[in-house]
Amino acid sequence: MCYKCVDIASWVQGGWRGQPGAARRIAKETRGWTIWLQASSQGTEILCILLFTSRALLPNLRPMLRYTLSRLQSLILSLIVASIVIFATVEVVPGDPASFMLGMNAQPDTIAALREQLGLDVPLWQRYLHWATGLLGGDFGTSYTYRTPISEMIGDRLWISLPLAIYALTLSTLIAFPAGILAATRRGSATDVGVMGITQLGVAIPNFWFAMLMVLVFAINLRWFSAGGFPGWEDPLLAMKALTLPAIALALPQASILARVMRSALLDTLSEDYVRTARAKGLTRRQTLWRHALRNALIPVLTIIGLQFSFLMAGAIIIENVFFLPGLGRLVFQAISQRDLIVVESVVMLLVFAVIIVNFAVDIAYAIVDPRLRGNR
Amino acid sequence: MSLLSISNLNLSIRKKPILRDVSLSVDAGQIVGIIGESGSGKSMTAYCVTQLLPEGLTATGDIRFNGKNILSTSETDMCAIRGAEISMVFQEPMTALNPVHTIGQQVAETILIHEPQTSKAEALERARDALNRVELPESRFPLSRYPHEMSGGQRQRVVIAMAIALRPKLLIADEPTTALDVTTQAEILTLLTRLVREDGMGLMIITHDLAVVADMADYIHIMQQGQIVEHGPADRLFQTMQHPYSKALLAASAHVPDREPPQGETPLLEVRNVLRDYALPRTKLFAKPESFRAVNDVSFTIRKGESLGLVGESGCGKSTLTRAILGLEEIQGGEILLSGEPVFTGKKPNRAVRRKMQVVFQDPYGSFNPRHRVDRLITEPFYLLDTTPPDREDRIAEALRSVGLTPDDAFKYPHEFSGGQRQRIAIARALIIKPELIILDEAVSALDVSIRAQILDLLAELSETHGLTYLFISHDLSVVRSITDRVLVMQHGKIVEQGETQSVFDNPTDIYTQTLIAAAPRLPEDLRNF
Repeated sequence: MCYKCVDIASWVQGGWRGQPGAARRIAKETRGWTIWLQASSQGTEILCILLFTSRALLPNLRPMLRYTLSRLQSLILSLIVASIVIFATVEVVPGDPASFMLGMNAQPDTIAALREQLGLDVPLWQRYLHWATGLLGGDFGTSYTYRTPISEMIGDRLWISLPLAIYALTLSTLIAFPAGILAATRRGSATDVGVMGITQLGVAIPNFWFAMLMVLVFAINLRWFSAGGFPGWEDPLLAMKALTLPAIALALPQASILARVMRSALLDTLSEDYVRTARAKGLTRRQTLWRHALRNALIPVLTIIGLQFSFLMAGAIIIENVFFLPGLGRLVFQAISQRDLIVVESVVMLLVFAVIIVNFAVDIAYAIVDPRLRGNR
Repeated sequence: MSLLSISNLNLSIRKKPILRDVSLSVDAGQIVGIIGESGSGKSMTAYCVTQLLPEGLTATGDIRFNGKNILSTSETDMCAIRGAEISMVFQEPMTALNPVHTIGQQVAETILIHEPQTSKAEALERARDALNRVELPESRFPLSRYPHEMSGGQRQRVVIAMAIALRPKLLIADEPTTALDVTTQAEILTLLTRLVREDGMGLMIITHDLAVVADMADYIHIMQQGQIVEHGPADRLFQTMQHPYSKALLAASAHVPDREPPQGETPLLEVRNVLRDYALPRTKLFAKPESFRAVNDVSFTIRKGESLGLVGESGCGKSTLTRAILGLEEIQGGEILLSGEPVFTGKKPNRAVRRKMQVVFQDPYGSFNPRHRVDRLITEPFYLLDTTPPDREDRIAEALRSVGLTPDDAFKYPHEFSGGQRQRIAIARALIIKPELIILDEAVSALDVSIRAQILDLLAELSETHGLTYLFISHDLSVVRSITDRVLVMQHGKIVEQGETQSVFDNPTDIYTQTLIAAAPRLPEDLRNF
């Protein structure tokens, strides 16, 4: 889905090579939308998969649909509230972008002129409306500092942050599930103690330190990976390779937490009455685990996965810095230090959008796992 | 040869004996009752038979099922026996089913596990048959139902359907009706008896309630501290009982505390035409949500020093009414007065009135904060007073002494006490600010019969010494009969019958009251005054 959107933009650009002005205009218009689509692609893809699998799982889709609609209502409401809060918070932070851009010795009338040019002289609510309606059309406005469309700035960086987050989350899930299940089924054994010990370490180690250690071992000594930077997506394999060390560094603490949650959730469900009922029916321990305990243990695990994805999207700044990745985190960081308020607002809004979409997907996943949440027929 | 014969079964946990030389047998088509209080080892006996003991425990002795030595059977072979030849039904129907699978899937699973060659469609068809046999007809209970869409009694039927789907030779029912209402209990017991007669299977029914098995079982074993202290054919056992424990158990079941009839006619609590509505979830975005009337036009009066019973099955509105009386929720109509003053004024409970009543809840485990000491727990009602009384320590000592504990117990934590002692602490907590009315919400329902008898005696004694008035809410008719002067019967939010306890129980006029009383399990009549 994301590839296609970007393709349209570049295809339009390429096809209109004769008239660069028109191409840029169309590219600019479509670019705004591609960002929304990219950001929501993660959520909608999960949603599509879930809806398709749910068709197989659910004998009756109606309550599911009703539930989805009610969740959608709260999603839209959250977005509106979030946009107001973000705008208000960023605007009350002291520091005037115009005077910052012009430096310490700028004349007051120059600053006033620039403020007017940037649209900072109109009342707050008008600026909010302008910004919000712009967002709806995919127009994020223009960066105060770089004078380039924000959608372009974000677009490039999203293509690093989003794949990195998905990569790290996949790794963490792939590690955590088997580790958690193994520890829970062999409670008290050497395996359990081992898993608990390693995950304790994983939570305790700062991930930037672990990242530097990996750079030292795998990039500098063994030369398996490059120490940082991002070569672009022309060669997807190379790009994935560049993201591997950062993804591992991000996944380590996440996997540790997730494995522990998986273990304790599974231990809780294994002591439930219905597990005893299943055993009394003649199921072996293993069958009981896979058929009855695991699905019931998924609710807390899904919650953590949702939180972790949000964190990975927005909170990768340090790792992006260690590996010199031009991701969203670094963009926000730079924008804040340069008082480029509109960039901060837009990126934060985009991240909030991603978080809300992920939460929505998690809510839907809850209902698929647990029929009680779908409500009665 | 018996279907199941257990001889000299022993089990201990960390050197502490749980079962001591237990021997019993169950024949095909026979109903064997095992009776005992908590910790008597009755459930452990069942787990030994199915080899579902907690990890690390092994029993010694001999268990023969159909001639096969159970204790030396491998886990793989046990899996083939469980569910197919020996099935189990447990106490808690609310949690015994997996919430994320449909009832059809869960019943069919029993069949698919033991006969893997069966097609899924065929298994579902046979699941349908099993559900029909437990009286859950297709029209109202399609296979696609989830457990949360059913009541406790219906869920217990599903559990039974799972257990009998393969027509096992032996069914073990561990407190199958303890969590259910009396009428539902009667239905489930009838169902189990019918299935035993139809299939000729053996039934081992485990319960703490003598009355439940008194007219159902063929043979009864009474257990105490891991031993069988008395056993015999059900029709003669009650007459031939020898062991002091079984006699005490029987006496406790039918225990009636000594009470003085109340004096005077002064009304203490007046409940007049009370309505309590709950808003239902919105169906349309802007429409006014519909409401459910949980308490519908309820009126009654409790006189000073009286003990009034409130009887009804789950969902009848008795807990809602309790919350309204305590001023925890606003009512939508009518008024509730304590000594002539409203309990709820200006959107919040009236503190001055509120301090004149206290409540004791059912669960002696859940109603205390486990991290607080007893002194802090029982002085919690002081928050209702304007200032903490200066004689705090004396009051704690007095409250504890009056419920039969010692003042030193104030420095212990709740986990250091047994269930019965905890209920005493809960009563001490209610007494400490010297209330006039105590609401007992299923206060003795979770207790063993002998402990229950002690607590009932304590309540009777306190009512005299402290001049207390009780509102006694319970689903257990025999308890209500033994401790109340008057009784209210509640159904669907309405009071359907009220009157003197004795006359309501002897000559119920309302149909619902008659059903309730008929459904309540009873000990043989000639033993009531044992």
